[in-house]
Amino acid sequence: MHRNSRPKIGLILSLSWFSVCIFCAIFGDFLPLPKWDDYDYDNSAARMFSKGHILGTDYDGSDILSGLIHGSRTSLGISILSVGAALIVGSFLGILAAYRRGFIDSILSMFFNVFLSVPTIVLTLVLVAIFSSPSLDGSSTELPRELVLIISLTIVFIPIIGRLARGTALSWTGREFVLVAESIGMRRREVLIRHIVPNVMPALISLFVLGIGFVIIAEGGFAIIGVGTQPGASWGSMLAKNRGELTLAPHTALIPATVIALTVASLNYYGEYLRSRIDDRESRI
Amino acid sequence: MTGLGKEHLRQASDALLRVEDLVVEYKTGRGDMFQAVAGVSFDIMPNETVAIVGESGCGKSTLAKGVMQLLTTKSGKVVLSGVEITGLGKEELRQVRPNMQMIFQDSIASLDPHMTVSQIVEQPLKVWGRGTDQERKEKIEDLLKSVNLDPDVVGNRKSTEFSGGQCQRISIARALALEPKLLVCDEPVSSLDVSIQAQILNIIREMKNRYGLSLLFISHDLAVVRRISDRIVVMYLGKICEVLTPDQSLSPAHHYTQALVLAVPMPDPTIRRQRAVLDGEPPSPMYPPTGCRFRTRCAAMTTICAEQEPQLREVSPGQFVACHHPIV
Amino acid sequence: MTSLFSINNLAVAFHTDRGELNAVRGVSLELNSGECLGVVGESGSGKTVTWRAAMGLLRGQKVKITGSVRLRDRELIDLSAEELRELWGTEIAMVFQDPMTALNPVRRIGSQFSEALIKRLGLSKEDANIRMLELLRMVRLPDPKSLIRKYPQQLSGGMRQRVMIAMAIACKPSILLADEPTTALDVTVQAQVLDLLGDLRKELSMSMVIVTHDLGIVAGYSDRIAVLYAGEVVELATTTELFANTRMPYTQALLNSIPKLTDSPGSPMQVIEGAPPDPVLVTTGCFFAPRCQYATDRCRAEHPDLVDSGDGHIYRCFYPLGKGK
Repeated sequence: MHRNSRPKIGLILSLSWFSVCIFCAIFGDFLPLPKWDDYDYDNSAARMFSKGHILGTDYDGSDILSGLIHGSRTSLGISILSVGAALIVGSFLGILAAYRRGFIDSILSMFFNVFLSVPTIVLTLVLVAIFSSPSLDGSSTELPRELVLIISLTIVFIPIIGRLARGTALSWTGREFVLVAESIGMRRREVLIRHIVPNVMPALISLFVLGIGFVIIAEGGFAIIGVGTQPGASWGSMLAKNRGELTLAPHTALIPATVIALTVASLNYYGEYLRSRIDDRESRI
Repeated sequence: MTGLGKEHLRQASDALLRVEDLVVEYKTGRGDMFQAVAGVSFDIMPNETVAIVGESGCGKSTLAKGVMQLLTTKSGKVVLSGVEITGLGKEELRQVRPNMQMIFQDSIASLDPHMTVSQIVEQPLKVWGRGTDQERKEKIEDLLKSVNLDPDVVGNRKSTEFSGGQCQRISIARALALEPKLLVCDEPVSSLDVSIQAQILNIIREMKNRYGLSLLFISHDLAVVRRISDRIVVMYLGKICEVLTPDQSLSPAHHYTQALVLAVPMPDPTIRRQRAVLDGEPPSPMYPPTGCRFRTRCAAMTTICAEQEPQLREVSPGQFVACHHPIV
Repeated sequence: MTSLFSINNLAVAFHTDRGELNAVRGVSLELNSGECLGVVGESGSGKTVTWRAAMGLLRGQKVKITGSVRLRDRELIDLSAEELRELWGTEIAMVFQDPMTALNPVRRIGSQFSEALIKRLGLSKEDANIRMLELLRMVRLPDPKSLIRKYPQQLSGGMRQRVMIAMAIACKPSILLADEPTTALDVTVQAQVLDLLGDLRKELSMSMVIVTHDLGIVAGYSDRIAVLYAGEVVELATTTELFANTRMPYTQALLNSIPKLTDSPGSPMQVIEGAPPDPVLVTTGCFFAPRCQYATDRCRAEHPDLVDSGDGHIYRCFYPLGKGK
């Protein structure tokens, strides 16, 4: 099998950028920078490259660079956790539906189709309203906003992944090598794990990567309509918080926007690259 | 033609495989049910090769999968080494599987693209926990060598790198790992080039002799089947129409078998013969003709053919035909 | 016999990741008016690529094609796609192995067929319908009126193939090119389709090319046979001559390895060991030498050219059979 000896530039760039983001998300706290929520009203809306603030500050004085680094943890955390959880649950259900067919398949497919028809935003609004808003009498327990967002996004993604997993698995279950595995005397469970899952997973990984990008943007959208995280705690909410400043201090909004764009572009690039690699391989079979 | 005739079956206690009145139903996409295998009986003795010959739609592949119990059979029984496997529960059936193995027509799709050749051949041994790691390694090498593949060269490569013929060899090695008594071959050479066909058929023959196997060989090619089988069963539209030996196959008693023989292309321009003796197409298996299923295309058809299903009767030693007016 | 169609020194090389894939290395074939030429070879022999290239079907792929392809006096290699399309159907018609890919599964047979007639022949809708039913009867399809209302998947393989043949002969082409026309069919249906092709050839005075891997098929139907191996013609002769006086060891080995009804049951198959050379690699000597039981050092070092033994029997071997080694 031939491989291009020179890896693509785009691949190197996107993976580098994403590694930087992950690094910030994990180790961000240890960097010698002002805290992201240190409001420094004297220094508000400072320009880029001003003293002590490489990327400038927000309208309330919080350092943008710190905000970005802290935000990486929130944004990436929410997206990776939600899509990841959906990947685990969705692929399990989808593959199960494809292998068992019959009644189980009908139930699961119906389940997928029902949940696919629920709009993301409506679902998030409802869940946030129920679980993450302070109630009028202050007595109900409040779940952290991030957790609620993760849950709602997971619920949204499970059917998407589930359907893809089911479709992909179906294309494999008809193949002779599955029959061969059964004829050797493998138990059904083993056949699923050893034969079907390894062949279905590559397609799902690609969807996982693309999904992370989608959620990062979705999170920004939530922030803008007011159900996002605490303002400034994530990239999306930084963008939302500063969107009124576009005329006076555009960098406060544009910088988080750029970071979001770069990250999503990197993820899309990598996700598409994975998908084309898989298509290449599958077409040969 | 009928599945009710059992004259051609031999002593039950001697047989390795005995199939009686097997019926397999198929559901089409639209939900209609029809019998792909409509009451078939035959047997295979130890060390014998029995071939099932027929054209597309006759149910031979379905029969093979039914014998292997890879799909649910509606009725009838399959007895392997005296054990009736049709009624067995899931786990009991699983225990029987090492005694019968199968290779398929699409050799490339038969191999998991994720696994290396060694892993594929080793898999049956791992499933049943046979031998130590070292013993398994030796067995894999031995198996690959016996199908003319060099274990050092192919062992670590993924199956996607190989041609159809090579993949079929790998499948054969895998099928023999558990040393089964019965090897079911479902059109194993139909999609291969002629020169590769010969290689694979020879390997199958060698393996049969080496391991003392019985073979159930499914094919549409009568010329191939004559070379390697001891007994030939001809199927049409879900039923058996004739059972005969390769020698007898050139003078068949059933009109369908006769048409098959005449249709086989002969690479010899000096032989001039009428090749196409059959008119039209086979009827749909969903609406089989009453009585003898072949009657709609048979030149010797009379009224009794529509009323009564013919039973398999012996017309000469070892030759059984289900026909009201067999060719004499 | 006048040469109707000729391929001269055609070479086709695909640009792949692994390198240049020499699928066809200098093939020359001639089709005379009124004859049926059989082109035989296994997979990798280049038999299909030769004709695809000659018909201009490889355009748009990463491929280099050299040589000449002439229909009567016209050079086809440099024709534009438009001009080539004019020829298809009128001068040259093609029938392929798998009619399912040539027929649109979401349209009824009748609608596809009559549309093709209207476009190609400029007929009115009524005339197209009449002609269509006529053609379907010519290919011996039962009950054409109800058949045209069906979708391709509802027909059997043999019937679909006949529909393809009907569409191919619609414009009364001079040449019918059949690429593995019966490979996917049952042997009894094969026989019917081949008989049909033979009869149509006489009725319409067509010349025919049958490309196949099955020597048995061409033995009964073609006037001359060309055997291809590793992208070259290795033997070419009239059918009787090819079988009676086989010169090329490959042809002989191929004939021996085909199971025939006349073989004695239980005899071991005669095998050609090994496999054809990898078309990406450059090989010296005769391409068949590694697998030939008569190969000598000369065979391994020098590449044999085609030799004409004078009676139209051409072969590519230093030590042809029947003439002493």
